[in-house]
Amino acid sequence: MEPNPEKGYVALLGWSLNAVEAAADFDRRYIVVAPDWAEDYCKQHDIPYMPWNFERLNERSMEIAEKLKQQGVDVAIPLYEETVEWAGAINSVLLDKPRLLGQSMLMRDKSLMKRRAQLGGIRVGIFEEAHDRDDVIRFLRRVNQTLLKLDGDPNDPIHFKAFDKAGCLGHRVIRTPDDVDAIPDEEFPALIESHLDGWEFAVEAWIHNGEICFLNISEYVRLGYSVHVPASPELEKYRDQIRQQIEKLIKVFDIDFGFVHPEYFVTNDGEMYFGEVAYRPPGFKVFELLERVYGFNAYQALELVFDPKTTPEEIKAFFPREIVDADGYAGCFGVYPRRRVVSRLEIPEETEDHPYFESHELTPPVQETVTKRTAFGTHWGLIYFRGEDPKEMHRLLKRQEELDFYV
Amino acid sequence: MSDSESLLEEKRARLCQHLDASVERLAAARDFAKPAKLSPVLDNARRLLLAGGAAELEQRAPALEQAGVFAGTDWAYPQILLPALTCHALTSPDSTVVVIESLSELRLLAVALGDYKHELISAEQAHHYLTQVLAMNLAMLFSPPSEAERTLQGRLAQVPRALLQHLAERIGYEHIIDKLIAEIWRILRQRPVQVDAVKQMITQIAICRGSANFSVNGDGGGETLMQGTERLVSSLYGPTQLCREDPGVQVYLERLGNVDSSALQSEAYGFARAMHDTGLVSPYHAVFVRFICEHHAHLLVDALGLSGTGRDCLLCYHDLVMALVQHAITADTPQAVFGLTLLLERGILYQPAVAPSLWRQIGLPLSEWSSQRLSTVFGNAVPPRTRLLEGVVLVLGLPLGIGQGNNPTCQSARAISIWSYIDPDFLLQLITCAARDDEIVMHFEGQPISSSPVLTNALQPLPVDLDPVSIVLVPHLDYIYNEMGRLCLGREGDPHRWINPEFHGWRVGRGFRINVDVGTGTIVDIEDFIRHFYAYYHPYFNGNQPLIHPQPAGLAVTDSAARFIGWHAITIQRAALDPKGVMRVYFFNPNNDSGQDWGDGVVVSTANNGEQFGESSLEFEQFASRIYIFHYDTQERGEPAQVSADAVERIKAYISRSWGQDRGLGEAHPAPRVGEA
Repeated sequence: MEPNPEKGYVALLGWSLNAVEAAADFDRRYIVVAPDWAEDYCKQHDIPYMPWNFERLNERSMEIAEKLKQQGVDVAIPLYEETVEWAGAINSVLLDKPRLLGQSMLMRDKSLMKRRAQLGGIRVGIFEEAHDRDDVIRFLRRVNQTLLKLDGDPNDPIHFKAFDKAGCLGHRVIRTPDDVDAIPDEEFPALIESHLDGWEFAVEAWIHNGEICFLNISEYVRLGYSVHVPASPELEKYRDQIRQQIEKLIKVFDIDFGFVHPEYFVTNDGEMYFGEVAYRPPGFKVFELLERVYGFNAYQALELVFDPKTTPEEIKAFFPREIVDADGYAGCFGVYPRRRVVSRLEIPEETEDHPYFESHELTPPVQETVTKRTAFGTHWGLIYFRGEDPKEMHRLLKRQEELDFYV
Repeated sequence: MSDSESLLEEKRARLCQHLDASVERLAAARDFAKPAKLSPVLDNARRLLLAGGAAELEQRAPALEQAGVFAGTDWAYPQILLPALTCHALTSPDSTVVVIESLSELRLLAVALGDYKHELISAEQAHHYLTQVLAMNLAMLFSPPSEAERTLQGRLAQVPRALLQHLAERIGYEHIIDKLIAEIWRILRQRPVQVDAVKQMITQIAICRGSANFSVNGDGGGETLMQGTERLVSSLYGPTQLCREDPGVQVYLERLGNVDSSALQSEAYGFARAMHDTGLVSPYHAVFVRFICEHHAHLLVDALGLSGTGRDCLLCYHDLVMALVQHAITADTPQAVFGLTLLLERGILYQPAVAPSLWRQIGLPLSEWSSQRLSTVFGNAVPPRTRLLEGVVLVLGLPLGIGQGNNPTCQSARAISIWSYIDPDFLLQLITCAARDDEIVMHFEGQPISSSPVLTNALQPLPVDLDPVSIVLVPHLDYIYNEMGRLCLGREGDPHRWINPEFHGWRVGRGFRINVDVGTGTIVDIEDFIRHFYAYYHPYFNGNQPLIHPQPAGLAVTDSAARFIGWHAITIQRAALDPKGVMRVYFFNPNNDSGQDWGDGVVVSTANNGEQFGESSLEFEQFASRIYIFHYDTQERGEPAQVSADAVERIKAYISRSWGQDRGLGEAHPAPRVGEA
C-alpha cells in the first residue's frame, strides 16, 4: 500500500518480521530502528531502516531521538520489553511530553509497577523485593507462617520474577530452600510474590486518547504453555469488571495512548488481582491468533493507536466489535520436549488429524540432549489451532501437554 | 465407497482448503516475509501426501511454484537437479527437505505429462528425470520402510512412498523397468569411470526382482529385456558358475581352493565375458584375479579377456602388472580390473615414461590433505593409496569415461581426459605433484602459477562427486584455470584464446576462432567461421588429414526444445565417416551422460554410429551448428572456399532456429565467460 503523507510516520523499535510486514502493507510511513545486524537484510529488501543498539539508556539516548525527529517521525513504538524505556525516552522528545519517560520506567520495573498499582488502589498479592537468596528464604518462610503451616507441611509456593525480563523469562516457582539455591546470581534483584490460587489471564488493550479502543482477554489454559482467544464464555462474563480494571490502570499509570498487556488473577470469589503490565506486544503470538479470528492486523492496530494523527473515525472503522465479530476460537500451544534425549520432530497423529489443527512452527531438533529447564524457559515452537467450540479448544490445548512432539 | 474411504476423502478436502489458504498467503507475502509463510504450506502438503493426496498436489503444481515454494533454492532450477540426490532428500529426517523434494517431483510430473508448461525444463527432460528418480528409489516403491528409515523418519517415511507410488502410477510401471534397463545399458555403453550410480540402480532392480508387482512390459521386447536385466544383475552379483548364487567372497575363495584347473579356466572366461559385456566388475572377479595371480598367473590373460595387444603388453610388463593387481585390485575396488584391462589394451605402457611413472605411483606417499580428501569421499574400506591407484588405472584405461560430476568446471575433467589420451606420463606427473606435494605449478605466458593456495582458501566447497583422480587433481586444476582467467582480465575478446593452449599444453592450436561477440553476445562472422571450421576439421576440405591431437572446443548447448542453456567445454576427438558413410564429428563431453537431445533434430549419439567407448557424435553439419569456439594450427590452410553455400546456409538455419534466435539483432544476451561449463 502507498503510504499516505497526511498520516503519521512511525518508528518501530526492535526487529520483528511480522511487524515489518504489517507496516509495509499499511498506509503509514515507517522506519525500523534495530541493531546493525539487521542492516543488510533491510537494504536487500528495501525496508526503511536506522541502525541503533538498544542497551541501557545512556547519555547518547538523545541522539536517536533527534535523528528520528529530523527524519520527521511522529512517534516510536516499542516491540520488545528491552525497547520500552527507549520508546518512552524518544516519545518524550518527539511529542514533547517529558513524563512519558517516567511512565515507561515504571513499566520496566516489576516492583515499581506493583507499588504504583497498589498506591492507585488496585489489588495486588503480597510482594517484596529480593536482593539475595536470604531475602527469598525469609519471604518463603513468612508467607507460609501466615498460612499457619507447621514444619514438615508442604509449602505453598512463591513466585520469583527477575525485575526487567519479559513474560515467563526469569519466572521461577519456589517451593523449597533448594529451589532458592538454584537461582543464579545474575537474576537478582527480583520481585517475589505470594502464589494466588485462581484463574490467570492476560488482557491486550489498545488505547487512544485515554480510551480503550479494543480489549481482548487471552485465556491461559496453562501458563507458559497454551492460550486461546477470545476467552471462554466463563471468563468473558467478567469482561465488564475487567474493563473497569483496565480503566483504573489507565488512570493510575496515566496512559494516554498505546498498548498495554497486563496479567490478572481472578480468585474463586470473583476478586481481581493485578499481576503485572507490559507496554509492548505480548509474546506467545497472541497478535497472530487475533488476526485468525478477528481478521485485523494487531500490529497495524498498534500503529493506529500510537499515531497522534489518527482520527476517531479511523479507529472506529478499523477495529471489529469485541466477541461478536470473532469467527471462532484460535489457540496455540508451546511445545517443550518431554524426553531427555530426542532425535527427531514428529507431530502426534492425533494432533495433526484434529480438525482444529492449523499449522505449527516447530523445527527439527538441533541437539539430541535436552537441557534441563530451570525457569519457565523458552518453548521450542508453537502449534496453532482454530475451531468453533471453546470447550473443545480448551480440552485440545490441555491434551497437548501429555503428548510427545520430539521423540 | 467405504466409510474409511469417504472419511479420507473428507480429510483431503479439508487439507486442500488449508493448503490453498496457506499457498495464497505465501503468494501474497512480500519477499522478506516468504520464509515464515512457507512452513504452513509444506506442512499441509505433507499431511495431504500422507492422506493420499498426491494427485491434488500435482494439480496445484503451478500455483505452488508460482507462490514461491522453491524460490531461493536449487529446486527453483529443475534443469540442474540430479536424480541421484533424491535418494538422500527423500530419506532425510527433516520433513522440510522430504516435502520440498516431493513437491518438486510432482511439479515435474505435471510438466512431463504436458499439464504444466515450464520455462526451464521440457516435458521430455522432466519425463527422463522422473524415470531416473523412480529407478534410483525403486526399493521404496516395492518394499516397506527399513528399520533404519523408521527410526530416522517415523511416519514421514510414508511420504516418499506415497509420492513414488503416485509417480509410478502416472508414468506407468512398464515405463520404469523398461526405461531403467535401457537407460542402464545406454550409460554403460559409454564406459564411464564412475559407476556407483549405475550399480545402485542395478542393486535396486536386484532387490525388487522377487516382488510380485515387478514385471516388464510384455509387448515384444519382454523376453530380451528380462535377459538384459539378468545380465546386469549377474555381472555384479554372480557372473560365473562358482558364484552364481552370490555366496559371499569368503565362501567363494574357499571354493576356488578346491576346484581343478579347467574349472578355474572357465571362471576366467566367465568373468571376462561379463566384464566386457557391461563394463562392470563384480567383487568376485577382483577376488579371483588376486587369487590366480598368486597361484595360476597364466590365467590372467583370460581373466582380463585380453586381445593380442593386451597380452603382449602384459607379458612385457609382467612385474608391473602384478604390482598393480596387488596394490589396486581389491573386493572394494573391483573396477580396477577393468581399468587395468583397457590400460593394457591401449598399449600405452610402451611409451617409455609410462611404466616408470606407474612404479612411482604404486609407491607414492600421499600428503595428509590428499589422504583426508580421499577418505572423506570414499570412506576407509581401503587405504587412500589403493583408492587413488584404482582411479589412476581407470583414468588411464578409460580416458573418455571421465565425468565432471555435478560441478561447473568442465575444463578440468576435459583436461584430464586429453592428457590421459595423449600424454599419460604428464598426467601421472600432475597426479604425483597434487597427491604427494599438494602443489601443481603451471605457467601462463612464462609466469608461474602455483595451486597451493587451494588447500587453505578454496572459494567454494570442493567437489566430492568425482573419481579418485579428479578428487585429488580437480581442485588444483580449477584453481590454476581460474587464475589464468584472472590474468586475462581486461584483454579484449574471449580469454579461452590464451588459456586453452597454456592450460592443456602445446598440442592445442594457437589459432583461435569464435563466432560470438564477447561484448554483446551477438553472432559475428558466421559464414567465415563455418567455412574455416570445415577447412580445418573436415577431411574433404583439409586435404584428408585426420585430426592429430584432440582439440578443446566450445559448444552452445541447447535443450530438447532447442533453447539456449549455456556454454560448454568439450574435446573434438576426430572427424570421420560413420558406418553409413556419413561424415561425423566424434567428441568427448565431460558431463556424466553424453546422450542428449539438443532440439531441432540434433540428437547426440553415443553408440551405433561408429563411436568408441565414451565418444559422442553428431553429423558434421549439426555439430557445426552448435560449436562457437575452436582452435587450429595457423599453418594449415585448408580449402574454406570449397565449402558449398548450401551447407553454410543449412548450418545458419540450424543456428537461427536454436541458440542463435536472439543473437542476430544486436540484442544484449549473456556473452560467454571464463569458467562456463
